[in-house]
Amino acid sequence: MAGSDTPNDWLTWAFSPTISAILVTLVVSLCLPVLIHYYLYRKASAKVLPTVLLIGPSGAGKTTLLTLFANGTPSATHTSQEPQTALCQLPSTTSSHEDRYRSEHDTSSRSQPKFLLVDTPGHGKLRHHALSSLTSPTALKGLVFVVDSAAVSSAAGLTETAEYLHDVLLLLQKRHTQSKTSRDPQAIPVLIAANKQDVFTSLPASLVKSKLEQEIAKARQTRSKGLLDSGIGMEDDGGDDEESNWLGQYGAKEFKFAQMEEHGVEVKVIGGNVRGEGEEKGRVEEWWAWIGENL
Amino acid sequence: MLDGVEILTTSGIVLWRRHYAPIPRSVVNSLVADVFIEDRRLQTGDTQQPPTSYRKDKYTLKWTRAKDVGLVFVAVYQSLLHLSWVDTLLTAVKTLFLKEYAPELAKPHLTKLDPARFDPTFDALVRKLDTGSTRRPSVPDSEGPGELTPPSSSASATEEAVDEPPPPPPPQPLFRKPTAPASQRDDTSTDATPVPTPDTSRPSTPASHLLTAKSGPGKASRRARKAQQSFGNSSAPASSGDESATGRAQAGKTGTAKAKRRWDADGFAVEGEEEVLDYSTAGATPSQADNAAGQREAADVPAVDSAQMGTRTPKGHFILKDLDDDISALLANPPHQQNHPPTQTTPSDPTLLTTATTKLTSLFQNILGNKSLTATDLRLPLAQMRTHLLAKNVAREAADRLCAAVEEDLLNRKTASFTTVDATLRQAMSSALTKILTPSSSLDLLRDVTATTTTTTGAGARPRPYVISIVGVNGVGKSTNLSKLAYFLLQNGFRVLVVAGDTFRAGAVEQLRVHVGNLSALARRGGGGSISLFERGYGKDAAAVAREAVGFAAGGTTTTANAGGGAGGVGLLFDVVLIDTAGRRHNDARLMGSLAKFSQWAHPDKVFMVGEALVGTDSVAQARNFAKEFVDGTGRLRNNGIGMDGFIISKCDTVGDMVGTLVSMVHATGIPVVFLGVGQHYGDLRGLNVGWAVERLMR
Repeated sequence: MAGSDTPNDWLTWAFSPTISAILVTLVVSLCLPVLIHYYLYRKASAKVLPTVLLIGPSGAGKTTLLTLFANGTPSATHTSQEPQTALCQLPSTTSSHEDRYRSEHDTSSRSQPKFLLVDTPGHGKLRHHALSSLTSPTALKGLVFVVDSAAVSSAAGLTETAEYLHDVLLLLQKRHTQSKTSRDPQAIPVLIAANKQDVFTSLPASLVKSKLEQEIAKARQTRSKGLLDSGIGMEDDGGDDEESNWLGQYGAKEFKFAQMEEHGVEVKVIGGNVRGEGEEKGRVEEWWAWIGENL
Repeated sequence: MLDGVEILTTSGIVLWRRHYAPIPRSVVNSLVADVFIEDRRLQTGDTQQPPTSYRKDKYTLKWTRAKDVGLVFVAVYQSLLHLSWVDTLLTAVKTLFLKEYAPELAKPHLTKLDPARFDPTFDALVRKLDTGSTRRPSVPDSEGPGELTPPSSSASATEEAVDEPPPPPPPQPLFRKPTAPASQRDDTSTDATPVPTPDTSRPSTPASHLLTAKSGPGKASRRARKAQQSFGNSSAPASSGDESATGRAQAGKTGTAKAKRRWDADGFAVEGEEEVLDYSTAGATPSQADNAAGQREAADVPAVDSAQMGTRTPKGHFILKDLDDDISALLANPPHQQNHPPTQTTPSDPTLLTTATTKLTSLFQNILGNKSLTATDLRLPLAQMRTHLLAKNVAREAADRLCAAVEEDLLNRKTASFTTVDATLRQAMSSALTKILTPSSSLDLLRDVTATTTTTTGAGARPRPYVISIVGVNGVGKSTNLSKLAYFLLQNGFRVLVVAGDTFRAGAVEQLRVHVGNLSALARRGGGGSISLFERGYGKDAAAVAREAVGFAAGGTTTTANAGGGAGGVGLLFDVVLIDTAGRRHNDARLMGSLAKFSQWAHPDKVFMVGEALVGTDSVAQARNFAKEFVDGTGRLRNNGIGMDGFIISKCDTVGDMVGTLVSMVHATGIPVVFLGVGQHYGDLRGLNVGWAVERLMR
C-alpha cells in the first residue's frame, strides 16, 4: 500500500550505504550537539563577574559613590535601607590588572573589564547585610571601606568608624585563620577610601590612617577586657581564646595596618572626593586605579 | 505650601525630586532612620496603627511606599500649615509614577531615571489639588476675578519644564466674555481716548451701564456703580437717544457747559470720567463695537477651540485635557480600589476531584518553592508563629506587631526554590527579630568611662566622673546588678563610688554596705580598682543625695583635697558613680514624677532600667512608663528623645528559652538591651549576643 510504502522507502534509504545518507548522518551528528548546547546555555551568563563591596558608617558617601561609578555623575542620595548592586565598568583611562603585560604603546582597543559594585547600608541596625556578604562565598575581589574624612575629626565619628572597621577587619582575619581547609581562602584587599576631601574640616589621608590605627588599638583593648557574650558556648569549636579575637599582632601595644598583612589582608588608605565643590568634578581616579589593580 | 516632593529607592538613591524651597538633607535622612529603620513610635502613644506623618524641626513629612519595586514617596511641608490634600497627592503621584516608569522599574539594579518625563504630570497634579488657599505668591494671579493663569507666568525658579504652550493673547476676549459679562474692554472701542485708559482688568465703563442695568451677576464694581450714578444724575436718562448723549458729551468736551462735579456714595469726587466714559459718539453701539472688534480680532488669528484643548474647572483654571482626564479619573476612584489584588479564581462548586487536585498541587508547590504568597497562604503559619512567640513570653502587643510586619513584608513575594512557606516565614521572622534586637550603636562602657574621666580637650574640658544610675520596679534585682556592674568596673581598674539612693526601703543601705565590703575585698585581691559607699541614711530626698555624691566624687568638697591614686583624671576622687534608686511601681505617678527631678539634679551619663526576664505583659507598660519620665530641662527626653540608655534584663538563668521579655521591652521603647544578668554571683553579667537570643526564640 502507498501508506506503508513511503516509510518503508525512507527507512531503506536511510540504512543503505548511499552517499547522501552518509552525508545527512554526518551533518546531523555534528550539528545536533552544537544546537543542543546553544539551546541549553542560551540564558546562562558568560562568566561570574567579580564583586567589589562598599562598606562604611552611615553618611560616608557609599551610595553616592555607587551612583558615580555606575552612571558617571553622582546623584542625590539619602540613608540606605537595603543593599544595592550596580554593574560598573572601568573607565578607559584606568589600566586594569589584565593590562600589566601589555606595552604602554599598545593601541589596540580593548574592552575594559566590568564588575559588580555592591552598596550596603551603614546604619547600625542594618550592618548584618554587609557582614553576611563578607562571609558568604562570592567572587569578592575587594572591599572599599568608605570613611567621611570630616566626621573622623570629631571624637564620636572617629569612634564609630573605628569600631566598624575593627569588626570588619576582625571578620576578615577570622576568615583567614579559621578556615577549615588547608588551602587559604582567597585574600580580599581592603581600600580605606577617605571621602569628602573637599570639605574644609576634612583630614588628609595620612592623618586619617594614623587616627584610625590609634582608635582601633583602643577598641581592641576594650573588647578584650569587656564582658563575655551571652552567646558563649554556642559554637562547638572550642571557646574563642583571647588570641583569636585580637586584631593584628597579639599582645602588641599599637596597631598598624601592616600587621594585617600576615593574615592576607592588604590595607591601603587613599583620599578623594565623590562630589566636587560647585562645578568641579570629584577626584576618584586613584580609587579606580586601585579597583583596576585588584580586579 | 508644599516644600518638596521626593521619590527615592529603598537603597537611598533619589530618582526624582521637586523642591519648592530648600530642604535640608537631614530631614529626609532622619525620616528614613527613625521611621523606616528604627521604627520609633513614641510620638504616637497608640502603636496599633502605623504612623502616617513625621515631624522634624519645623517640617512635617508624609509618605507612602511601593514595596514591590522598593520605592518611597515623600512629601515635605511646613508644620504650621495643615495641608489636607497631601495624602491624595502622594497616592496619585505613586500610581502615575509607577505607570510612567513601569519598564525601567522592572529592570534590576536601577540607579537612574530620566526625571523630565514626570515633571509635567506632577505640575498638573499639584495645580489640580492645590486648592488655591495655599497658592504661592510667586504665581501672578492677581489679574482680576477671572483667574486666568497662563502657565508661562507660573514658573517658579526651580521649574525648568514649560509644559503647556502659553495661549496666545488674542483669545483672551473669548475667555473674558463668559466670566465677566459686565466687563467692557476699552481697547475694543473705536473711540477710546487714550489718556486715562483704565486697565483691562478694570471691568466697567459707564457705557456699559446699558449692560449693567440689565445683567447683573452681582459683580457691579465701583466704577459701574459710579457710572450708573453719574448717568442717573444727568438730565438725560440712559435710554435716550444717542444724539442727546452725544450732544451732551460734546458739550462737556468743548467746555461751554460747566463741568459737573460728580460725587459718589463714598464721598469722593468722581473726576475726569466724562471723556473716558463716553463712547456714544462713535455711532456704533458699544455692544456692536465690541462684537465687531471681537470678530475682527478673531478673524486675524485662527480660532482656538478651548473645549478641545481642555476643560475649565469651576475656579476658572484651564487645564489641558489629556493629563486632566487621567488625573481626575484617578482622583475619582481611589487607587487602593484599583490596586486590589485579583482574587484567585476559586472553583464555584468544589468537587472532590478539584479539591484533591488543588491540594496536591499546592502541596507540591509548597515543597518546590517559587510560590507567590497570598494572605490566605500566610494566615495559618502566621497564627502558629504568633502562638509560638506568645509561648516564649513575648508580650501580645509585640507579637502582633512583629507578625503584622512580617506579613506585610512577605505578601506577594515569591518563595525561593525548594523552600516551604513555613521556612520562608521562619527566615523572615528571624530577620525581623534580629533587626529589633540589634542596637543602632553598640555600647562600649569601658570606652565611654575612659573618655569621660580623662578628657582634657573639647567642649567638656574638665574631666568629670561617669555617672550611671539604675532604675526599675520593686524587686527586679537593681542592687544585685549594680554590684555586678561594679565588679566588672573594678576588674578594669576604675575607682567606683556606690551611692545609696534608695532612702526608703528598710535595709537598702545595709545591703549595699555588704556588697561594697565584699567587692573591696575582691578588689584587694586583684584588679587594681577601689570601691566605697556613699550614704546619707534613710528618709532623705534621693535627688539631693545623688547630687551631693556626684559633687563628692568630682572632688569638689573642701575637706578632701588630695586626689586618690589609680587610673583616671587628675583631681577626681572617683571615676564612676553608681547610683542605686528605690524600686517604684510604674503606675504610681508620684513616685515616677520624682525620677524627672532626679535626672535633672544628678545628670547621669547612663540610665539603665532593670527588668526581670520573668515578667510577662507588664514589661511593656513598665518600660514605657519609665522611659517617658526622663525629661531634661527643656522638656525633651534625654538620649535623643528615647529616654533611657539601656535595659538590663535580670534573672535570665531562670527562664531558659523563654527570653521573650527582651523583645517586648525593646519593642515598647526602642531602647536596646545592654546587659543580661545570669545568676546571683558577681561575675554573672553578660552582654547581649543577638544571634543567641534569636536562636533561643525561634527554637
